[in-house]
Amino acid sequence: MAGEEQENNNTKGFRLLGILDVQNTPCARDAILHGAGGSLAAGLLHFLATSRVKRSFDVGFAGFMLTTLGSWFYCRMNNAKLRVQQRIIQTGIKNKIVYEGTVLDPTNKPGAETPSGPS
Amino acid sequence: MAHPSQLGFQDAASPLMEELLHFHDHALMIVFLISAFVLYIIVAMITSKLTDKLILDSQEIEVIWTVLPAMGSSQIAILSLRILYLMDEINDPHLTIKAMGHQWYWSYEYTDYQDLGFDSYMVPTQDLTPGQFRLLEADHRMVIPVESPIRVLISAEDVLHSWAVPSLGVKVDAIPGRLNQTTFIVNRPGILYGQCSEICGANHSFMPIVIEAVPLPHFENWTSLMMAEYT
Repeated sequence: MAGEEQENNNTKGFRLLGILDVQNTPCARDAILHGAGGSLAAGLLHFLATSRVKRSFDVGFAGFMLTTLGSWFYCRMNNAKLRVQQRIIQTGIKNKIVYEGTVLDPTNKPGAETPSGPS
Repeated sequence: MAHPSQLGFQDAASPLMEELLHFHDHALMIVFLISAFVLYIIVAMITSKLTDKLILDSQEIEVIWTVLPAMGSSQIAILSLRILYLMDEINDPHLTIKAMGHQWYWSYEYTDYQDLGFDSYMVPTQDLTPGQFRLLEADHRMVIPVESPIRVLISAEDVLHSWAVPSLGVKVDAIPGRLNQTTFIVNRPGILYGQCSEICGANHSFMPIVIEAVPLPHFENWTSLMMAEYT
Protein backbone atom coordinates (compact mmCIF):
# COMPACT_ATOMS: atom_id res chain seq x y z
CA MET A 1 0.00 0.00 0.00
CA ALA A 2 2.78 2.44 0.97
CA GLY A 3 4.66 1.41 -2.17
CA GLU A 4 1.61 2.15 -4.33
CA GLU A 5 1.18 5.55 -2.70
CA GLN A 6 4.83 6.34 -3.30
CA GLU A 7 4.49 5.23 -6.89
CA ASN A 8 1.44 7.49 -7.33
CA ASN A 9 3.35 10.43 -5.85
CA ASN A 10 6.27 9.79 -8.19
CA THR A 11 4.08 9.67 -11.31
CA LYS A 12 2.04 12.74 -10.32
CA GLY A 13 4.89 15.29 -10.79
CA PHE A 14 3.51 18.38 -12.55
CA ARG A 15 5.61 19.46 -15.55
CA LEU A 16 5.42 23.08 -16.67
CA LEU A 17 5.30 23.24 -20.48
CA GLY A 18 5.93 19.48 -20.30
CA ILE A 19 9.56 20.25 -19.42
CA LEU A 20 10.09 21.26 -15.82
CA ASP A 21 8.96 18.93 -13.04
CA VAL A 22 8.07 21.60 -10.50
CA GLN A 23 7.24 19.23 -7.66
CA ASN A 24 10.31 17.02 -7.66
CA THR A 25 13.02 19.52 -8.66
CA PRO A 26 14.53 21.32 -5.64
CA CYS A 27 14.00 25.13 -5.77
CA ALA A 28 11.84 24.96 -8.93
CA ARG A 29 8.52 25.56 -7.20
CA ASP A 30 9.84 28.50 -5.19
CA ALA A 31 11.50 30.03 -8.27
CA ILE A 32 8.33 29.79 -10.38
CA LEU A 33 6.16 31.20 -7.60
CA HIS A 34 8.55 34.09 -7.02
CA GLY A 35 8.61 34.64 -10.78
CA ALA A 36 4.85 34.74 -10.94
CA GLY A 37 4.73 37.26 -8.12
CA GLY A 38 7.46 39.38 -9.69
CA SER A 39 5.72 39.26 -13.04
CA LEU A 40 2.42 40.39 -11.55
CA ALA A 41 4.04 43.21 -9.60
CA ALA A 42 6.13 44.49 -12.52
CA GLY A 43 3.29 44.33 -15.03
CA LEU A 44 0.78 45.95 -12.72
CA LEU A 45 3.11 48.76 -11.68
CA HIS A 46 4.00 49.51 -15.30
CA PHE A 47 0.33 49.59 -16.28
CA LEU A 48 -0.55 51.86 -13.40
CA ALA A 49 2.22 54.23 -14.46
CA THR A 50 1.68 54.19 -18.23
CA SER A 51 -1.77 52.67 -18.96
CA ARG A 52 -0.18 50.76 -21.86
CA VAL A 53 -1.54 47.23 -21.85
CA LYS A 54 0.68 45.45 -24.34
CA ARG A 55 3.87 47.02 -23.09
CA SER A 56 2.84 46.14 -19.51
CA PHE A 57 2.51 42.50 -20.54
CA ASP A 58 6.02 42.67 -22.00
CA VAL A 59 7.37 44.22 -18.80
CA GLY A 60 5.51 41.62 -16.77
CA PHE A 61 7.07 38.79 -18.73
CA ALA A 62 10.53 40.33 -18.39
CA GLY A 63 9.87 40.56 -14.66
CA PHE A 64 8.93 36.88 -14.62
CA MET A 65 12.17 35.87 -16.35
CA LEU A 66 14.40 37.97 -14.13
CA THR A 67 12.69 37.09 -10.86
CA THR A 68 12.62 33.38 -11.67
CA LEU A 69 16.29 33.37 -12.64
CA GLY A 70 17.33 35.36 -9.61
CA SER A 71 15.35 33.22 -7.17
CA TRP A 72 16.58 30.05 -8.86
CA PHE A 73 20.27 30.98 -8.66
CA TYR A 74 19.99 32.12 -5.05
CA CYS A 75 18.18 28.97 -3.95
CA ARG A 76 20.47 26.61 -5.89
CA MET A 77 23.63 28.22 -4.48
CA ASN A 78 22.31 27.81 -0.94
CA ASN A 79 21.25 24.26 -1.77
CA ALA A 80 24.74 23.45 -3.10
CA LYS A 81 26.39 24.89 0.04
CA LEU A 82 24.06 22.78 2.22
CA ARG A 83 24.92 19.65 0.24
CA VAL A 84 28.64 20.29 0.69
CA GLN A 85 28.14 20.72 4.45
CA GLN A 86 26.02 17.57 4.53
CA ARG A 87 28.78 15.58 2.84
CA ILE A 88 31.41 16.94 5.22
CA ILE A 89 29.26 15.96 8.19
CA GLN A 90 28.59 12.50 6.75
CA THR A 91 32.30 11.92 6.13
CA GLY A 92 33.08 13.17 9.63
CA ILE A 93 30.56 10.79 11.22
CA LYS A 94 31.86 7.89 9.14
CA ASN A 95 35.50 8.66 10.01
CA LYS A 96 34.64 9.00 13.67
CA ILE A 97 33.05 5.56 13.69
CA VAL A 98 35.90 4.01 11.72
CA TYR A 99 38.80 5.59 13.60
CA GLU A 100 37.35 5.70 17.14
CA GLY A 101 39.72 4.10 19.62
CA THR A 102 42.61 3.87 17.15
CA VAL A 103 45.80 5.93 16.85
CA LEU A 104 44.19 7.86 13.99
CA ASP A 105 41.34 9.13 16.19
CA PRO A 106 41.74 12.94 16.20
CA THR A 107 39.97 13.20 19.56
CA ASN A 108 42.42 10.77 21.17
CA LYS A 109 44.43 12.66 23.79
CA PRO A 110 47.74 11.18 24.87
CA GLY A 111 47.42 9.59 28.35
CA ALA A 112 49.26 11.11 31.37
CA GLU A 113 52.80 9.77 31.79
CA THR A 114 53.15 7.28 34.57
CA PRO A 115 55.65 8.48 37.24
CA SER A 116 58.91 6.57 37.20
CA GLY A 117 60.06 4.74 40.34
CA PRO A 118 63.02 5.81 42.50
CA SER A 119 66.34 5.30 40.70
CA MET B 1 14.83 0.93 -10.92
CA ALA B 2 12.49 2.96 -13.07
CA HIS B 3 8.76 2.96 -12.34
CA PRO B 4 6.13 2.74 -15.10
CA SER B 5 5.77 5.85 -17.33
CA GLN B 6 8.76 7.47 -15.64
CA LEU B 7 10.18 10.41 -17.63
CA GLY B 8 12.92 11.71 -15.35
CA PHE B 9 16.09 10.17 -13.96
CA GLN B 10 16.12 7.49 -11.28
CA ASP B 11 17.09 8.50 -7.74
CA ALA B 12 20.84 8.91 -7.41
CA ALA B 13 22.81 6.17 -5.65
CA SER B 14 26.24 7.77 -6.03
CA PRO B 15 27.65 11.28 -5.45
CA LEU B 16 28.41 11.61 -9.15
CA MET B 17 24.81 10.94 -10.12
CA GLU B 18 23.69 13.50 -7.55
CA GLU B 19 25.90 16.07 -9.26
CA LEU B 20 24.55 15.05 -12.66
CA LEU B 21 20.97 15.49 -11.41
CA HIS B 22 21.88 18.89 -9.95
CA PHE B 23 23.34 20.02 -13.28
CA HIS B 24 20.42 18.57 -15.22
CA ASP B 25 17.90 20.49 -13.10
CA HIS B 26 19.81 23.71 -13.72
CA ALA B 27 20.05 23.17 -17.48
CA LEU B 28 16.36 22.24 -17.61
CA MET B 29 15.34 25.46 -15.84
CA ILE B 30 17.25 27.47 -18.44
CA VAL B 31 15.60 25.45 -21.22
CA PHE B 32 12.20 26.09 -19.64
CA LEU B 33 12.80 29.85 -19.47
CA ILE B 34 13.95 29.98 -23.09
CA SER B 35 10.90 27.97 -24.17
CA ALA B 36 8.56 30.26 -22.23
CA PHE B 37 10.24 33.28 -23.84
CA VAL B 38 9.86 31.84 -27.35
CA LEU B 39 6.22 31.02 -26.68
CA TYR B 40 5.58 34.55 -25.49
CA ILE B 41 7.27 36.05 -28.56
CA ILE B 42 5.17 33.84 -30.86
CA VAL B 43 1.94 34.92 -29.16
CA ALA B 44 3.01 38.57 -29.17
CA MET B 45 3.86 38.50 -32.88
CA ILE B 46 0.64 36.73 -33.86
CA THR B 47 -1.53 39.14 -31.88
CA SER B 48 0.29 42.27 -33.06
CA LYS B 49 -1.41 44.51 -35.62
CA LEU B 50 1.85 46.31 -36.46
CA THR B 51 3.53 45.66 -39.83
CA ASP B 52 6.62 47.15 -41.46
CA LYS B 53 7.76 45.95 -44.86
CA LEU B 54 10.91 48.08 -44.82
CA ILE B 55 12.85 46.75 -41.82
CA LEU B 56 16.30 45.83 -43.09
CA ASP B 57 18.43 45.50 -39.96
CA SER B 58 18.71 46.57 -36.37
CA GLN B 59 22.07 46.60 -34.68
CA GLU B 60 20.72 46.81 -31.14
CA ILE B 61 18.61 43.67 -31.23
CA GLU B 62 21.32 41.81 -33.13
CA VAL B 63 23.72 42.54 -30.27
CA ILE B 64 21.14 41.49 -27.68
CA TRP B 65 20.27 38.21 -29.31
CA THR B 66 23.95 37.38 -29.75
CA VAL B 67 25.24 38.33 -26.31
CA LEU B 68 22.45 36.85 -24.20
CA PRO B 69 22.57 33.33 -25.74
CA ALA B 70 26.37 33.41 -25.52
CA MET B 71 26.17 34.24 -21.82
CA GLY B 72 23.64 31.47 -21.19
CA SER B 73 25.57 28.91 -23.20
CA SER B 74 28.89 29.71 -21.55
CA GLN B 75 27.32 29.40 -18.12
CA ILE B 76 25.97 25.94 -18.95
CA ALA B 77 29.30 24.97 -20.54
CA ILE B 78 31.36 25.93 -17.49
CA LEU B 79 29.14 23.90 -15.16
CA SER B 80 29.15 20.93 -17.49
CA LEU B 81 32.95 20.97 -17.84
CA ARG B 82 33.27 20.83 -14.07
CA ILE B 83 31.22 17.67 -13.83
CA LEU B 84 32.83 16.22 -16.96
CA TYR B 85 36.27 16.29 -15.32
CA LEU B 86 34.81 15.15 -12.01
CA MET B 87 33.61 11.99 -13.79
CA ASP B 88 37.18 11.13 -14.82
CA GLU B 89 38.66 11.32 -11.34
CA ILE B 90 39.96 8.06 -9.90
CA ASN B 91 39.96 8.12 -6.13
CA ASP B 92 41.98 5.15 -4.84
CA PRO B 93 39.54 2.25 -5.28
CA HIS B 94 39.25 -0.31 -2.50
CA LEU B 95 38.00 -3.07 -4.78
CA THR B 96 38.42 -3.97 -8.44
CA ILE B 97 35.86 -6.02 -10.33
CA LYS B 98 36.00 -7.12 -13.94
CA ALA B 99 32.72 -7.17 -15.84
CA MET B 100 32.87 -9.14 -19.07
CA GLY B 101 30.08 -9.00 -21.62
CA HIS B 102 29.07 -12.15 -23.44
CA GLN B 103 26.22 -13.09 -25.70
CA TRP B 104 23.98 -12.83 -23.70
CA TYR B 105 25.05 -12.55 -20.08
CA TRP B 106 27.55 -10.74 -17.91
CA SER B 107 30.33 -12.38 -15.95
CA TYR B 108 32.01 -10.81 -12.94
CA GLU B 109 35.51 -11.54 -11.64
CA TYR B 110 36.64 -10.50 -8.18
CA THR B 111 40.37 -11.06 -8.64
CA ASP B 112 41.07 -9.48 -5.24
CA TYR B 113 39.44 -12.56 -3.74
CA GLN B 114 41.36 -15.57 -5.07
CA ASP B 115 39.94 -15.41 -8.61
CA LEU B 116 36.33 -15.48 -7.55
CA GLY B 117 34.20 -15.36 -10.67
CA PHE B 118 30.63 -16.13 -11.70
CA ASP B 119 28.15 -15.60 -14.51
CA SER B 120 25.02 -13.49 -14.26
CA TYR B 121 22.12 -14.60 -16.42
CA MET B 122 18.72 -12.95 -16.61
CA VAL B 123 15.97 -14.72 -14.69
CA PRO B 124 13.42 -15.80 -17.35
CA THR B 125 9.94 -14.33 -16.99
CA GLN B 126 8.35 -17.69 -16.26
CA ASP B 127 10.77 -18.27 -13.36
CA LEU B 128 10.19 -14.96 -11.59
CA THR B 129 8.89 -15.05 -8.03
CA PRO B 130 6.26 -12.49 -6.87
CA GLY B 131 7.91 -9.11 -6.30
CA GLN B 132 10.69 -9.61 -8.83
CA PHE B 133 11.01 -7.38 -11.88
CA ARG B 134 10.54 -8.64 -15.43
CA LEU B 135 13.68 -8.47 -17.64
CA LEU B 136 15.69 -6.92 -14.80
CA GLU B 137 16.46 -9.72 -12.35
CA ALA B 138 19.60 -11.83 -12.61
CA ASP B 139 20.45 -15.14 -11.00
CA HIS B 140 23.72 -13.81 -9.51
CA ARG B 141 24.09 -10.21 -8.48
CA MET B 142 27.29 -8.21 -8.41
CA VAL B 143 27.66 -7.53 -4.69
CA ILE B 144 29.69 -4.53 -3.56
CA PRO B 145 30.26 -2.76 -0.24
CA VAL B 146 28.64 0.65 0.31
CA GLU B 147 30.65 3.82 0.86
CA SER B 148 33.75 2.27 -0.77
CA PRO B 149 35.26 3.41 -4.07
CA ILE B 150 34.84 0.57 -6.54
CA ARG B 151 36.74 0.20 -9.81
CA VAL B 152 35.02 -1.81 -12.54
CA LEU B 153 37.02 -2.93 -15.56
CA ILE B 154 34.73 -3.62 -18.45
CA SER B 155 35.37 -5.63 -21.57
CA ALA B 156 33.67 -8.13 -23.82
CA GLU B 157 34.38 -11.61 -25.10
CA ASP B 158 32.56 -11.50 -28.41
CA VAL B 159 30.69 -8.43 -29.67
CA LEU B 160 30.12 -4.91 -28.39
CA HIS B 161 28.11 -4.58 -25.19
CA SER B 162 27.67 -1.72 -22.75
CA TRP B 163 27.59 -1.89 -18.96
CA ALA B 164 25.08 0.66 -17.74
CA VAL B 165 23.54 1.41 -14.34
CA PRO B 166 21.40 4.58 -14.55
CA SER B 167 21.14 5.24 -10.81
CA LEU B 168 24.93 5.36 -10.56
CA GLY B 169 25.34 7.51 -13.67
CA VAL B 170 27.52 4.82 -15.25
CA LYS B 171 27.52 3.68 -18.84
CA VAL B 172 30.70 2.17 -20.24
CA ASP B 173 31.14 0.34 -23.51
CA ALA B 174 32.37 -3.25 -23.39
CA ILE B 175 34.66 -3.64 -26.40
CA PRO B 176 36.38 -6.91 -27.27
CA GLY B 177 40.14 -6.54 -26.90
CA ARG B 178 39.88 -3.31 -24.91
CA LEU B 179 39.66 -2.69 -21.17
CA ASN B 180 37.56 0.28 -20.11
CA GLN B 181 37.59 1.54 -16.54
CA THR B 182 35.04 3.29 -14.38
CA THR B 183 34.95 4.08 -10.68
CA PHE B 184 32.04 4.91 -8.45
CA ILE B 185 30.93 4.98 -4.83
CA VAL B 186 27.50 3.71 -3.79
CA ASN B 187 26.01 5.96 -1.10
CA ARG B 188 23.34 3.69 0.26
CA PRO B 189 22.57 -0.06 0.55
CA GLY B 190 20.13 -1.37 -1.99
CA ILE B 191 19.68 -3.14 -5.29
CA LEU B 192 20.51 -1.20 -8.45
CA TYR B 193 19.40 -2.31 -11.89
CA GLY B 194 20.77 -1.70 -15.35
CA GLN B 195 20.60 -3.20 -18.80
CA CYS B 196 22.99 -3.80 -21.67
CA SER B 197 23.15 -0.60 -23.69
CA GLU B 198 24.80 -1.60 -26.95
CA ILE B 199 23.02 -3.73 -29.52
CA CYS B 200 24.59 -7.17 -29.36
CA GLY B 201 22.27 -9.63 -31.01
CA ALA B 202 18.95 -11.35 -30.50
CA ASN B 203 18.96 -11.24 -26.70
CA HIS B 204 20.41 -7.78 -26.25
CA SER B 205 17.38 -6.77 -24.16
CA PHE B 206 17.73 -9.80 -21.92
CA MET B 207 21.09 -9.37 -20.21
CA PRO B 208 20.53 -7.14 -17.21
CA ILE B 209 23.02 -5.86 -14.67
CA VAL B 210 22.07 -6.14 -11.01
CA ILE B 211 24.22 -4.59 -8.31
CA GLU B 212 23.59 -5.33 -4.65
CA ALA B 213 25.19 -2.78 -2.35
CA VAL B 214 25.59 -4.09 1.20
CA PRO B 215 27.45 -3.04 4.35
CA LEU B 216 31.04 -4.22 4.51
CA PRO B 217 30.56 -7.11 7.01
CA HIS B 218 27.80 -8.54 4.80
CA PHE B 219 30.08 -8.18 1.77
CA GLU B 220 32.85 -10.09 3.53
CA ASN B 221 30.40 -12.86 4.46
CA TRP B 222 29.21 -13.03 0.87
CA THR B 223 32.75 -13.30 -0.53
CA SER B 224 33.53 -16.12 1.91
CA LEU B 225 30.43 -18.02 0.81
CA MET B 226 31.10 -17.43 -2.86
CA MET B 227 34.75 -18.44 -2.62
CA ALA B 228 33.70 -21.67 -0.98
CA GLU B 229 31.25 -22.29 -3.83
CA TYR B 230 33.05 -21.04 -6.93
CA THR B 231 36.83 -21.27 -6.37
